[in-house]
Amino acid sequence: MGNFLDDTITKQLREIFENLQSPVEVMVFTSKKDCEYCEDTSALLEEVCALSPKLHLQKVDLEADAKLGAQYAVTRTPAVALLGQVDGKTTDFGVRFSGIPAGHEFSALVEDILAVSRQQPEISPQTQAFLDSLQSPVHLEIFTTPT
Amino acid sequence: MVLAHRFALASKNVTADAIEATEFPELSNRYRVSGVPHTVINEGSGNMVGAAPEEMLVDEIKKALKL
Repeated sequence: MGNFLDDTITKQLREIFENLQSPVEVMVFTSKKDCEYCEDTSALLEEVCALSPKLHLQKVDLEADAKLGAQYAVTRTPAVALLGQVDGKTTDFGVRFSGIPAGHEFSALVEDILAVSRQQPEISPQTQAFLDSLQSPVHLEIFTTPT
Repeated sequence: MVLAHRFALASKNVTADAIEATEFPELSNRYRVSGVPHTVINEGSGNMVGAAPEEMLVDEIKKALKL
Protein backbone atom coordinates (compact mmCIF):
# COMPACT_ATOMS: atom_id res chain seq x y z
CA MET A 1 0.00 0.00 0.00
CA GLY A 2 1.32 3.41 -0.90
CA ASN A 3 1.71 6.66 0.95
CA PHE A 4 0.22 9.07 -1.51
CA LEU A 5 -2.67 7.40 -3.26
CA ASP A 6 -5.56 6.11 -1.19
CA ASP A 7 -7.58 3.02 -2.12
CA THR A 8 -10.29 5.00 -3.92
CA ILE A 9 -7.85 6.91 -6.11
CA THR A 10 -5.84 3.76 -6.78
CA LYS A 11 -8.96 1.95 -7.96
CA GLN A 12 -10.02 4.89 -10.14
CA LEU A 13 -6.56 5.18 -11.69
CA ARG A 14 -6.37 1.47 -12.47
CA GLU A 15 -9.64 1.82 -14.37
CA ILE A 16 -8.53 4.99 -16.15
CA PHE A 17 -5.25 3.39 -17.15
CA GLU A 18 -7.08 0.51 -18.80
CA ASN A 19 -7.67 3.04 -21.57
CA LEU A 20 -3.96 3.41 -22.18
CA GLN A 21 -2.93 2.47 -25.68
CA SER A 22 0.76 2.71 -26.41
CA PRO A 23 3.20 2.67 -23.48
CA VAL A 24 4.28 5.83 -21.72
CA GLU A 25 7.74 6.36 -20.28
CA VAL A 26 7.60 8.49 -17.15
CA MET A 27 10.98 10.07 -16.49
CA VAL A 28 11.48 11.58 -13.06
CA PHE A 29 14.49 13.85 -12.65
CA THR A 30 15.76 14.44 -9.14
CA SER A 31 18.70 15.98 -7.40
CA LYS A 32 20.21 15.25 -4.01
CA LYS A 33 20.93 18.94 -3.52
CA ASP A 34 18.32 21.48 -2.44
CA CYS A 35 15.32 19.52 -3.54
CA GLU A 36 12.63 19.46 -0.91
CA TYR A 37 10.12 17.48 -2.94
CA CYS A 38 12.35 15.18 -4.95
CA GLU A 39 11.87 12.10 -2.79
CA ASP A 40 8.12 12.58 -2.59
CA THR A 41 7.84 13.12 -6.34
CA SER A 42 9.82 9.98 -7.05
CA ALA A 43 7.71 7.95 -4.61
CA LEU A 44 4.45 9.36 -5.98
CA LEU A 45 5.33 8.53 -9.56
CA GLU A 46 6.43 5.05 -8.47
CA GLU A 47 2.97 4.47 -7.05
CA VAL A 48 1.31 5.78 -10.20
CA CYS A 49 3.43 3.73 -12.59
CA ALA A 50 2.80 0.55 -10.60
CA LEU A 51 -0.85 0.78 -11.59
CA SER A 52 -0.38 -0.17 -15.23
CA PRO A 53 2.02 -2.36 -17.20
CA LYS A 54 1.98 0.34 -19.90
CA LEU A 55 3.64 2.88 -17.61
CA HIS A 56 7.39 2.65 -17.25
CA LEU A 57 9.20 4.70 -14.65
CA GLN A 58 12.72 5.89 -15.22
CA LYS A 59 14.42 7.74 -12.38
CA VAL A 60 17.25 10.06 -13.32
CA ASP A 61 19.62 11.73 -10.88
CA LEU A 62 20.71 15.00 -12.50
CA GLU A 63 24.16 14.97 -10.92
CA ALA A 64 24.84 11.34 -11.76
CA ASP A 65 23.42 11.61 -15.26
CA ALA A 66 24.03 15.10 -16.53
CA LYS A 67 23.96 13.97 -20.15
CA LEU A 68 20.43 12.68 -19.84
CA GLY A 69 19.41 15.89 -18.10
CA ALA A 70 20.87 17.88 -20.99
CA GLN A 71 19.19 15.65 -23.57
CA TYR A 72 15.81 16.40 -22.06
CA ALA A 73 16.68 20.04 -21.24
CA VAL A 74 15.96 19.55 -17.56
CA THR A 75 17.58 22.02 -15.19
CA ARG A 76 15.03 22.18 -12.38
CA THR A 77 14.15 19.39 -9.99
CA PRO A 78 11.96 17.59 -9.37
CA ALA A 79 10.91 17.33 -12.99
CA VAL A 80 8.77 14.87 -14.88
CA ALA A 81 8.87 14.18 -18.61
CA LEU A 82 6.26 12.06 -20.35
CA LEU A 83 7.54 10.19 -23.38
CA GLY A 84 5.50 8.24 -25.90
CA GLN A 85 6.16 5.47 -28.37
CA VAL A 86 6.08 6.33 -32.06
CA ASP A 87 6.78 3.45 -34.46
CA GLY A 88 8.47 1.59 -31.64
CA LYS A 89 10.74 4.50 -30.75
CA THR A 90 10.63 6.40 -27.49
CA THR A 91 9.68 9.95 -28.41
CA ASP A 92 9.89 13.18 -26.44
CA PHE A 93 6.88 15.41 -27.07
CA GLY A 94 8.14 18.19 -24.80
CA VAL A 95 5.61 17.53 -22.06
CA ARG A 96 7.07 18.51 -18.69
CA PHE A 97 6.19 19.13 -15.09
CA SER A 98 8.48 21.05 -12.75
CA GLY A 99 7.78 20.52 -9.08
CA ILE A 100 5.72 17.82 -7.44
CA PRO A 101 2.53 17.21 -9.44
CA ALA A 102 0.10 17.51 -6.55
CA GLY A 103 -3.50 18.70 -6.35
CA HIS A 104 -4.93 19.59 -9.72
CA GLU A 105 -1.52 19.17 -11.27
CA PHE A 106 -1.98 15.49 -10.46
CA SER A 107 -5.17 15.29 -12.52
CA ALA A 108 -3.34 17.11 -15.31
CA LEU A 109 -0.59 14.48 -15.07
CA VAL A 110 -3.15 11.69 -15.46
CA GLU A 111 -4.82 13.43 -18.42
CA ASP A 112 -1.45 14.01 -20.02
CA ILE A 113 -0.45 10.36 -19.57
CA LEU A 114 -3.61 9.36 -21.44
CA ALA A 115 -3.04 11.94 -24.17
CA VAL A 116 0.59 10.87 -24.70
CA SER A 117 -0.46 7.23 -24.75
CA ARG A 118 -3.16 7.86 -27.35
CA GLN A 119 -1.13 10.54 -29.09
CA GLN A 120 -4.34 12.47 -29.51
CA PRO A 121 -3.88 16.16 -28.78
CA GLU A 122 -7.64 16.77 -29.17
CA ILE A 123 -7.20 20.23 -30.61
CA SER A 124 -9.10 21.80 -33.49
CA PRO A 125 -7.93 21.39 -37.11
CA GLN A 126 -7.29 25.16 -37.17
CA THR A 127 -5.01 24.94 -34.16
CA GLN A 128 -3.21 21.92 -35.63
CA ALA A 129 -2.71 23.80 -38.90
CA PHE A 130 -1.29 26.77 -37.00
CA LEU A 131 1.10 24.52 -35.05
CA ASP A 132 2.15 22.79 -38.28
CA SER A 133 3.04 26.20 -39.72
CA LEU A 134 5.44 27.08 -36.90
CA GLN A 135 8.97 27.78 -38.07
CA SER A 136 10.56 28.42 -34.70
CA PRO A 137 10.37 26.97 -31.18
CA VAL A 138 7.62 27.82 -28.74
CA HIS A 139 8.40 27.27 -25.08
CA LEU A 140 5.37 27.46 -22.80
CA GLU A 141 5.87 27.74 -19.05
CA ILE A 142 2.62 27.45 -17.16
CA PHE A 143 2.85 28.54 -13.55
CA THR A 144 0.32 26.96 -11.28
CA THR A 145 -0.28 25.89 -7.70
CA PRO A 146 -1.77 22.65 -6.39
CA THR A 147 -4.97 24.25 -5.05
CA MET B 1 -1.82 23.36 -18.31
CA VAL B 2 -3.27 20.35 -20.08
CA LEU B 3 -4.03 22.54 -23.10
CA ALA B 4 -0.41 23.67 -23.31
CA HIS B 5 0.74 20.06 -22.95
CA ARG B 6 -1.61 19.14 -25.80
CA PHE B 7 0.01 21.78 -27.99
CA ALA B 8 3.39 20.21 -27.13
CA LEU B 9 2.07 16.77 -28.04
CA ALA B 10 0.76 18.14 -31.34
CA SER B 11 3.97 19.87 -32.46
CA LYS B 12 7.68 19.14 -32.55
CA ASN B 13 8.26 22.88 -32.14
CA VAL B 14 6.34 23.26 -28.90
CA THR B 15 7.46 22.32 -25.39
CA ALA B 16 5.23 22.94 -22.37
CA ASP B 17 6.31 22.88 -18.75
CA ALA B 18 3.75 23.01 -15.92
CA ILE B 19 5.65 24.66 -13.08
CA GLU B 20 4.58 24.51 -9.47
CA ALA B 21 5.10 28.17 -8.59
CA THR B 22 5.69 27.88 -4.85
CA GLU B 23 8.64 25.52 -5.37
CA PHE B 24 10.38 27.90 -7.76
CA PRO B 25 9.99 31.37 -6.23
CA GLU B 26 12.93 32.94 -8.08
CA LEU B 27 11.50 31.90 -11.40
CA SER B 28 8.01 33.04 -10.40
CA ASN B 29 9.41 36.41 -9.34
CA ARG B 30 11.41 36.79 -12.51
CA TYR B 31 8.22 36.55 -14.52
CA ARG B 32 6.21 38.50 -11.91
CA VAL B 33 3.76 35.68 -11.42
CA SER B 34 1.07 36.79 -9.01
CA GLY B 35 -2.05 34.93 -10.09
CA VAL B 36 -2.18 31.41 -11.40
CA PRO B 37 -2.38 29.99 -13.91
CA HIS B 38 0.14 32.26 -15.58
CA THR B 39 1.55 31.22 -18.92
CA VAL B 40 4.89 32.59 -20.08
CA ILE B 41 5.74 32.21 -23.75
CA ASN B 42 9.36 32.06 -24.90
CA GLU B 43 10.92 33.33 -21.70
CA GLY B 44 8.76 36.46 -21.59
CA SER B 45 8.02 37.29 -25.23
CA GLY B 46 4.42 36.62 -24.33
CA ASN B 47 2.39 36.40 -21.15
CA MET B 48 -1.07 35.21 -20.31
CA VAL B 49 -2.82 35.23 -16.97
CA GLY B 50 -5.71 32.90 -16.32
CA ALA B 51 -6.98 29.77 -17.96
CA ALA B 52 -7.48 30.42 -21.63
CA PRO B 53 -9.33 28.65 -24.37
CA GLU B 54 -7.48 27.16 -27.29
CA GLU B 55 -7.95 30.09 -29.70
CA MET B 56 -6.62 32.54 -27.14
CA LEU B 57 -3.47 30.52 -26.52
CA VAL B 58 -2.93 30.41 -30.30
CA ASP B 59 -3.37 34.20 -30.48
CA GLU B 60 -0.93 34.81 -27.63
CA ILE B 61 1.65 32.55 -29.28
CA LYS B 62 1.21 34.47 -32.54
CA LYS B 63 1.71 37.75 -30.68
CA ALA B 64 4.79 36.44 -28.92
CA LEU B 65 6.28 35.31 -32.23
CA LYS B 66 5.18 38.56 -33.90
CA LEU B 67 3.23 36.62 -36.49
